[in-house]
Amino acid sequence: MSSDTDSNRFVRVALVEARGAPVATLPTPLRWRRAWLSSPAMSIALLAVLVLLLPLAWRFFQWAVLNAHWLGNSSQACTDDQGACWAFVIARWKPWLVGDYPSDQLWRAASCFAGFAVFWIWVVRRPHTADLRRVLLGFLLLPLAFFALLLGAGVLPFVPPTRWGGLLLTLVATLATFATALPLGLLLALGRRSELPVVRWLCTAFVEGMRSVPLLVVLFIAATLLPMFLPPGLKLDLFVRALAAFALFNAALAAEVFRGGLQLIGRGQLEAATTVGLGRLATLALIVLPQAVRAVVPALVNIMIAVIKETTLLSVIGVNDFLGAVENGAKSPDWTGDSNILTSGHVFLALAYFLVCFGLSHYSRRLEAAR
Amino acid sequence: MVRMDGINKWYGDYHALRDIELQVAPGERIVVCGPSGSGKSTLVRTVNLLEPFQQGRLNVCGIEVGADEITRASRLALNRKVGMVFQQFNLFPHMTALQNLTVGPVWGHGVSRREATERAMHYLERVGLLAHAHKHPAQLSGGQQQRVAIARTLCTQPQVVLFDEPTASLDPEMVNEVLQTMEGLAGEGMTMMIVTHEMGFARRVADRVIFMDQGQVIESAPPEEFFERPQSPRLRSFLGQVLPH
Repeated sequence: MSSDTDSNRFVRVALVEARGAPVATLPTPLRWRRAWLSSPAMSIALLAVLVLLLPLAWRFFQWAVLNAHWLGNSSQACTDDQGACWAFVIARWKPWLVGDYPSDQLWRAASCFAGFAVFWIWVVRRPHTADLRRVLLGFLLLPLAFFALLLGAGVLPFVPPTRWGGLLLTLVATLATFATALPLGLLLALGRRSELPVVRWLCTAFVEGMRSVPLLVVLFIAATLLPMFLPPGLKLDLFVRALAAFALFNAALAAEVFRGGLQLIGRGQLEAATTVGLGRLATLALIVLPQAVRAVVPALVNIMIAVIKETTLLSVIGVNDFLGAVENGAKSPDWTGDSNILTSGHVFLALAYFLVCFGLSHYSRRLEAAR
Repeated sequence: MVRMDGINKWYGDYHALRDIELQVAPGERIVVCGPSGSGKSTLVRTVNLLEPFQQGRLNVCGIEVGADEITRASRLALNRKVGMVFQQFNLFPHMTALQNLTVGPVWGHGVSRREATERAMHYLERVGLLAHAHKHPAQLSGGQQQRVAIARTLCTQPQVVLFDEPTASLDPEMVNEVLQTMEGLAGEGMTMMIVTHEMGFARRVADRVIFMDQGQVIESAPPEEFFERPQSPRLRSFLGQVLPH
């Protein structure tokens, strides 16, 4: 220790070892009060929220659980609108799940669901951090496999896409959009940075154009106008045309996301890549893309969640997706009646989409944290 | 090894390199110094065509490039013979030290992965960082990162190594370890062109010191002559400012 006669000088003799940080010893009630009621304004805000929300939550609970009708085969089961008509949901499970898919070929639809479930469990239950590459690979390969299986691929009996429907169709449409829009978006982003003016101009024009038009308009054009422009003799199924519209539209959005990621890579790294002898393609594949793609995962997941919800627009152009199946169900002779029946279907739909999108969003946070 | 004939470079209207005539013999160690903005970095970056030039001819390790022959192919061919160490290290942050070293030989020079790994281990040991082979750059200090960068360049087995102010971003404590590594390299007969402010290093290591100002070579001499008997007035005033008082 220093001598205290000389205040101008200090020499430490024994170093101070690192110690553990002190543990917070605030009693629980006090901690809660600090967190929730830290000021009069906070207390009033909390009270206001509770006053507004609790009655609504209670009313919803009454409607959804207490007064709900769970069993029945037709609208006779749900004669009042005091409770949800879950009988509607339960009775229509098959058309909502697979649409009009032939009953004897249902194993193919079931395999698709099972395949996706297996993939998701395999990806999500990895012991350590999430693996971006596997997720992307799965999202690219699964749609191809599903399409082949559902269509028949010449080996199995052919089932036209007009007979696919419900959740199956939504699943296939979503995965197909991921598989086409993301790679196409990456190519567009790279094209915008090309040295060839023609490539650069074309990519920029496409991206800016697609971003400026509502998706529904693009879908309508694909549904109604596109057949007139196709060469005679080439008939594309409505579903395929709709998928093309989804792919092109979301590719433009993805292109902007990738462009942001590509700009993150500093010039110094590109120069270093040149000095160790890496050509343009090698630099792109080994240096630029691994960093750029990892950096934009949150924005990409944003797009993917939006795609899941966008597929409901298919019902507007007459494709029998999950939402379309629900709407058709309410129009069927067995179930026409109270609007409460359709509303129950919609609430079920909202819960289903919420689960899916929340699951994806939650997983994406693990992806972000991964190395 | 390196010959620059009448090299002129403009950045837009600004004449950055003026009538550069320079020759570097094999095994020679050149130090380039001068005030900031004098064009020393530009000079060195022109040698491996990171900066193109508009007039003159460049000859590096037998590859001859004229001002209108600067293409991506010629730049790549040149960089396969020349290595560079940057002021900002420019390591690839998503790769370990070992991967940083092997990516060039495997994907740029067609070396087998096993041989590239052996080479990488050898050079990591040379710079004293074998224990850190599997760390990412973010886990290394500045001096360690720069030494990895030097090892990375050596792995591609260049004939000339360019250094663009390699110690300018380092804490004073770490400058020494990097300079020692560079001196070891020089001791083995590597041809080097180094831009630096480290005058003590220049004295010890250089065969020739070049002073640049306003885009041109003002004076060039062996270190003894350069520091003890500077001829041009500009160099004299520069040394007066720069050398320890």
